[in-house]
Amino acid sequence: MSLLEVTDLSAGYGMVPVLRGISLHVEAGEAVVVLGANGAGKTTTLRAISAMLASTGTIRFDGVGMQRSSPDRMVRAGISHVPQGRGTIVDLTVEENLMIGAYVRTDDEVESDLARWFGVFPRLEERRNQVAGSMSGGEQQMLAIARAFMSRPRLILLDEPSLGLAPLVTREVFDRVAESVTETGTAVLLVEQNANLALDFATRGYVLESGSIVGEGSADELRGDESIRRAYLGG
Amino acid sequence: MSGSVLEEPPTVRPGVVPSGPFGGRVSWRWIGWIGAVIVLIVTPHVLDAFWTGKVTGWVCLAVAAQGLNLLTGYNGQISAGHGALYGLGAYTCAIWVDHFDGQFLGGVALAAIVSFAAGLLIGLPALRIKGLYLALVTLAVATLFPDLVKQLEGITGGQQGLKMSEPVPYRGTVVQQNVKWVAPEWTGLADDQWRFYVFAVIALACFALTANLVRSRMGRAMVAIRDNEVAAETNGVPVARVKVVTFGLSSALAGVGGALFALWQTQVFPLSFTLTASLYFLVAVVLGGPSSVIGPAIGAISYGLFEDVLSKKVLPERWQSLTPLILGVLLVVLMQLAPGGTVGMVQTLRRRRLARRASGVLQPAGQTVDQATDPATPDDPATDDPVLDDPATPDPTND
Amino acid sequence: MSEFFQFVVIGLGNGAVYAMVGMGLVVIYRSTGVLNFSQGEIAMFSTFIVWSAHEAGLPLPLALVVGMIAGAAIGAVLFRIAVQPLGDSKANPLPVVIATIGLFLAVNASASLVWGSESKPFEKLFGLGALEIGSVSIDYQKIGALAVLAVEVLAFQLLFNRTKLGLAMRSVASNPESSALAGVPVNRVLLAGWGLAAAIGAVAGTFTAPNFGIDANLMLNTLVFAFAAIALGGFDSLIGAVVGGLIVGVLTDVAPRYIDAIDKMPLAPAFLLIVAVLLFRPEGLFGTRRVQRV
Repeated sequence: MSLLEVTDLSAGYGMVPVLRGISLHVEAGEAVVVLGANGAGKTTTLRAISAMLASTGTIRFDGVGMQRSSPDRMVRAGISHVPQGRGTIVDLTVEENLMIGAYVRTDDEVESDLARWFGVFPRLEERRNQVAGSMSGGEQQMLAIARAFMSRPRLILLDEPSLGLAPLVTREVFDRVAESVTETGTAVLLVEQNANLALDFATRGYVLESGSIVGEGSADELRGDESIRRAYLGG
Repeated sequence: MSGSVLEEPPTVRPGVVPSGPFGGRVSWRWIGWIGAVIVLIVTPHVLDAFWTGKVTGWVCLAVAAQGLNLLTGYNGQISAGHGALYGLGAYTCAIWVDHFDGQFLGGVALAAIVSFAAGLLIGLPALRIKGLYLALVTLAVATLFPDLVKQLEGITGGQQGLKMSEPVPYRGTVVQQNVKWVAPEWTGLADDQWRFYVFAVIALACFALTANLVRSRMGRAMVAIRDNEVAAETNGVPVARVKVVTFGLSSALAGVGGALFALWQTQVFPLSFTLTASLYFLVAVVLGGPSSVIGPAIGAISYGLFEDVLSKKVLPERWQSLTPLILGVLLVVLMQLAPGGTVGMVQTLRRRRLARRASGVLQPAGQTVDQATDPATPDDPATDDPVLDDPATPDPTND
Repeated sequence: MSEFFQFVVIGLGNGAVYAMVGMGLVVIYRSTGVLNFSQGEIAMFSTFIVWSAHEAGLPLPLALVVGMIAGAAIGAVLFRIAVQPLGDSKANPLPVVIATIGLFLAVNASASLVWGSESKPFEKLFGLGALEIGSVSIDYQKIGALAVLAVEVLAFQLLFNRTKLGLAMRSVASNPESSALAGVPVNRVLLAGWGLAAAIGAVAGTFTAPNFGIDANLMLNTLVFAFAAIALGGFDSLIGAVVGGLIVGVLTDVAPRYIDAIDKMPLAPAFLLIVAVLLFRPEGLFGTRRVQRV
């Protein structure tokens, strides 16, 4: 049984349909990417899964149907969503952001987790009492990711982490995420326009076009595919 | 506030079914106007003097409500101070008739002018104070108005109010007598009927002018500003001018309504124009539905029906507070079930029928003016946390 | 001169009440982006509950606690049924504003229906005594109001900076969407905010009622003063509400004694203040500047 199983998912905004019955799955510990151009529906997919958006179809997490859930309940179930544009809480400090990330936890290891993630992202520790809104884009991205990890999720939804970041910073972000994911065994569903980086990071992928899945395969397969290369990898 | 314009554009677009019976050859709009005129002509003959008088009062409300609808429904500037402008019109007319022995209709015209000017005056600072804050300021104006009237006792008669009286020859001298509506001989009408017709004509004129305005370039500018002010500005709309003028026009209508009110009552008191009055206008506009010309009429009539028929006739003294209670609850409920008011509900139903007929034709992505995107649309399955489920704010990258 | 000082203290005492209502308004404004026009009425209704509890035999301080709890419950329920279903109010505030106006009418009318329209006398929480310093006499009630205000400010500081709920409230106020994604039950947090504001309202009403007795129109003027207070202080600043409230209190109490015209129109200075601040410095003394998002 897959960790996340999405079947025939459709969603949209008001009368505007965006997703037209897509299906995908993510196994425990797996890193899966959804590639697609602007407007394909990638972000909508993630928003539908984390219950930010109403949708039709089935979403099963760990075998349990999650159709009429709400974002905070999804976090409790074990899904953490790092939204596009990072979504850090700009008026809170770095440390407070991380503590908010741990809101649903009732165990007593929150402090030690805090220390652990400060270890992975030393720059965050340096700025632990700084207001999040005053940090650079890359730092905020790392904060957003660390915050997502704070809830000890089993699946992280990562929405276009490269957006607005310089290539070097993006590389660093991806490296850290890869590290963290291997260490914690968290599954990742990544949505990205930057196919090169994404296919290095993920083991499997889907291609989304105008709300429908038009391609699927392992990272190598996708990288080798002619049409995908032309469309998303610059030939 | 996302409302929709009632009237469909006259050109028929492919795939859009023309609206109206007899295959669309006669539009609903014309039927509406003709129907309204017929109803107005017939009313004072069907009702007795007492009820004709009551309905006359509703006409005043309808005119004023139309003004608020122009401002809030079409132009998106929320005002909780409409009652003050209504009162301004009423007092202007009353003072004209009483102190200056002026003609009734002159009083109405003067009230329109004075209220228009006041509206312009308020509209100017309103340019810098938007949305929520404007509601706040207008709320304060509404609360302040009765005190102001009482303060200017000299002209307004203070707390006791102002009875409109005119000099009348009596037994060789001249006495002051309360003004009265007297039907001219040639009409063969009773006084109350004549009064109703005069009011109805004025109201119809106001409504017709408003309908025209709303469909003109100015009207489109108003709506554009309501939906996205910055975008409107970049598109060349003279935002400041339109907003200020809208305030002026809206106030002028309130003034006319107020003047009619004064002429109807033949006396005015400061306590007729408190904050509650302003809020009731808001109720009327919301009830009828913003941004349609007929909405305010429906709202005003509904309120009048409720107040005069239900409340005063049926309920004993102690239960008088039931009116504001029910109106308040109505506002709350309306926001959830039908933010477009009664007219909006009809619109949504009609649109949904059209959409079902035209299914398969994809709507243009992004925002459209007549958005079916209010959070309460039953189309969208409700989630637990509608904080995030507002389809009116599409994803930034339109993904 | 001592007379002036006395007036100032009275003004501060009144201002404390405006500050209390103002703080409630700020809490709701920060979390929902909306000015709760029914705040005063909820406060009035809660104060009536205090009155009833006292009439039933409870000593006033205990009755106040009862009123605060009942008020909090009422505030929470009203949020749940009237505001929560309307969705994200920061994105679309107009329906919520109208809903709160509806609540204004409904709650005000309900109070009249339940308790009648006659004004009822209300006891002073801090008694009738006064502190005598030289030729100046300061009512214990006024001092009490200021003391209670100080306690409330302290309580807020503790809540927001040292509790999980407080952190959640600040988080939601800053970014409800991200907060939800982090697992914060946003609606429950907003609910708490409304409950809190209502509870403070009960306290404010308890200090207002002794002046002219309690009736359904108890808080009508106070609401306008509270709005003026937060306009002056900055709509999203708790400190602003306190400072603004005290200033408005002093202004509206001292000015009428020296300027006759204002005496007849007690709301005028508050109104002019609101307009002036919104025109020239919309963020007030302590508020944050808003950037217009295109």
